[in-house]
Amino acid sequence: MKLEDATSLTERCFRGEPASCSYACPFHMDIRSFLDKAAKGRWGAAYKIFRNATVFPGIVAVLCEQPCRERCQRSVVGDEAIALRDIEAACLRYAKDRRPESYVIPPKEKRVAVVGAGLAGLSLALDLAQKKFLVTVFDKEEGWGGCLRPHPRFAEFDAEIALQFSAVKAEFRFGTEVKSLDELDGFDAVYVATGAGGESFGLCEGWDPDLFTTTVPRVFLGGALCGATLMEGIAQGAEVSKIIEVFLQTGRAAHTPSEFDKSGRGHYLTHDGAVSVPRVEPSSPEGYTDEEAKAEAARCLQCDCDYCFAGCEMLRRFRKDPRKIGVEVYTDMNVNPPFSTRALTREAYSCNICGYCESVCPESVDIGRAMQLSRTARMSAGVDPAALHDYWLREMDFSTSEGAFASAPKGRDACEYAFYPGCQLGASNPEHVLRAYGFLKEKYDAGIILGCCGAPAYWAGDEERLQSNIEEIRRQWHDMGEPTLIFACATCESLFCRSLPEIPRVSLYQLLAEAEDIVPTKIFSEAAIFDPCAARGDPEMEAGVRALAGKAGVSLEELPERNRCCGYGGHIQLANPELYEEITAHRAEASDRPYIVYCANCREVFASRDKECVHVLDMAFGLPLSGRAPSLQEKRDNSLRVKKELMKEIKDVDFKPESHPWDDLTLIIDADLQKDLDEQLISAADLKEAIWVAESEGDRFVDESGGTTIASMVKRVITYWVEYRKTGPKTYEIVDAYYHRMRFGREE
Amino acid sequence: MSEEARNLRCSRCDRELVSKNIVFEYLGHTVAHEVPTCPKCGKVFISKELAEGRMAEVERQLEDK
Repeated sequence: MKLEDATSLTERCFRGEPASCSYACPFHMDIRSFLDKAAKGRWGAAYKIFRNATVFPGIVAVLCEQPCRERCQRSVVGDEAIALRDIEAACLRYAKDRRPESYVIPPKEKRVAVVGAGLAGLSLALDLAQKKFLVTVFDKEEGWGGCLRPHPRFAEFDAEIALQFSAVKAEFRFGTEVKSLDELDGFDAVYVATGAGGESFGLCEGWDPDLFTTTVPRVFLGGALCGATLMEGIAQGAEVSKIIEVFLQTGRAAHTPSEFDKSGRGHYLTHDGAVSVPRVEPSSPEGYTDEEAKAEAARCLQCDCDYCFAGCEMLRRFRKDPRKIGVEVYTDMNVNPPFSTRALTREAYSCNICGYCESVCPESVDIGRAMQLSRTARMSAGVDPAALHDYWLREMDFSTSEGAFASAPKGRDACEYAFYPGCQLGASNPEHVLRAYGFLKEKYDAGIILGCCGAPAYWAGDEERLQSNIEEIRRQWHDMGEPTLIFACATCESLFCRSLPEIPRVSLYQLLAEAEDIVPTKIFSEAAIFDPCAARGDPEMEAGVRALAGKAGVSLEELPERNRCCGYGGHIQLANPELYEEITAHRAEASDRPYIVYCANCREVFASRDKECVHVLDMAFGLPLSGRAPSLQEKRDNSLRVKKELMKEIKDVDFKPESHPWDDLTLIIDADLQKDLDEQLISAADLKEAIWVAESEGDRFVDESGGTTIASMVKRVITYWVEYRKTGPKTYEIVDAYYHRMRFGREE
Repeated sequence: MSEEARNLRCSRCDRELVSKNIVFEYLGHTVAHEVPTCPKCGKVFISKELAEGRMAEVERQLEDK
């Protein structure tokens, strides 16, 4: 993986970039942050930002023309822009301590001459004097201020300049006109800022507007002399001082790296939900009171994009900016323990990879793709936390081997249509597949492909397994005469869309909605449709489900946000059980109405949370409402039943599932424990196997005080433990079961 | 039932378990911990308390390393 492979996925994110007003500000002040502090009445902190950006805040608060107001996004809501200058003036009044800071820096020996004591020259002189250069300012007038000297409020400005220079040493030679640069031979650098129409010593020709250099290497030009406005002149002073500093250190004028990209303009946001608030008018001609200034500052919309953060529980939990995630996808693969450790594991495996972030991002950044890349990279490097996905990969192995079956309809080699129910539909409720196939066989002469689309491999980052499964599906499809596949599962359909785009697709729900003889039952009179995340961008499937619900006469409510992942996506359940719990709870609470779902995984998530819900196929085929979610063992049994019935019907073959010596053990598990085991993905089949091996080999522990037996079994990367009691022939009551991922070895 | 209160025997060796320092391995890292072990065959017992407590915590830390 190259750095760009990862960062390119998230680089369009502009979260944290300056707001649009800052790009318009001559000082590129962080206005958003200034107003945030001001709104909280933190005048000292606000002043610091203001002073550091503008050098002479007492002048800027009076004279700045506020181009920021042209780029204030209050206009998006139809409001007047923030009255920034009035808040700045209030900040000067309410900041307790305006004394400039002095810095402990070793004095420099280099001498800098500034020609012109206007604001441009003073700004540069102040900055270099703070850095302890030997600064001398020349002006032909008898004081500083340049073009501001005749201003009616000059006394105020004069005091402001004096205040800002009060903590530095600088020499002022007023009443001294520099007539020739030869007079300044003793200086290592010279800044000429003599104002509009001022003396340029013939250096305007050859002036470089980027570095402010002239044909004489040590002489720089800037300010109104070169066409800058008063405010630009102040801002330039700070910029040129840095260029001169580099020149004095290296002999070459150059910019220091700056984080501010002046070419930017800032992004406009939609500000959905922002409330219109009129500008606060000052109650006195003196300006805002403390409270008024705070209220006006609080009108700032704090324009920064948080669309993905606002809706995604995972991003909120980890609080990592998308661009940082992009970088970490790369650094995560280049760790050098103990000096650096992996930084992204938990996040990468906690992402539902549901596409929500992309759908709300103004730049369509899909953070899930970055997380997916991380999973793929770690799997191919053999450094994946295998236990987090092992259960689902085992289920995929089952669905693509013992549970798999593909055939054209009875008596045929090829077909125009074939049903692809996906691994979970039949596991969740065999009737869904059997009834749907009955319908499709009659109407469309459809064949069937029972298997797994490969989503577990995709989510585990197992590219190799995913690809070989895709090849197998392609082969089956080809052998069946390349039929149009009919999908009931949005996850399958989206995976086919991405990996097998040549296969024509249609949604089962669309076909059911079109069929006149399908009369769905109205299980709930009012409901909300919960669209699965994978159906985003699949309007036919969404419309088919709505048509079926409409046909049943259900009064439908649209959820405030559609296509949110129920929590199942990305298989995050073991990687982050707390987050999984939070997400599933939020989705269940999205509406008080019962849900109509059309994804078996959504149904299970809601059933396990006791959220009233119905699969749209229950309605379409008039099936009884099945309350609880099936256990892991029941899901496997259901899948095998579907295969058995379809094989019998189509091929007239009696399918005999693989048998194991432990199959005929009976386990007694109480309902609470069963729920707990399902959440931890501990299946009854594994417990039976562990008990059978322990009992037949005598390899177990006995708890004499409690009268129980304890057995363990290692399965791939998981060690299972089961505590049980024999209650009859081949019958065991399960007292407890648990697992761990670590392997124990020898005695130390 | 807590680990200490248990009176466990290895069924095959018919011996009471004794506490031994055992090496655990996960994702290329190793840690050692005292756990009840059969003194004869060396079979190790991991209680639910340990598996879902300290072990789960260390597993998580090592996954994040």
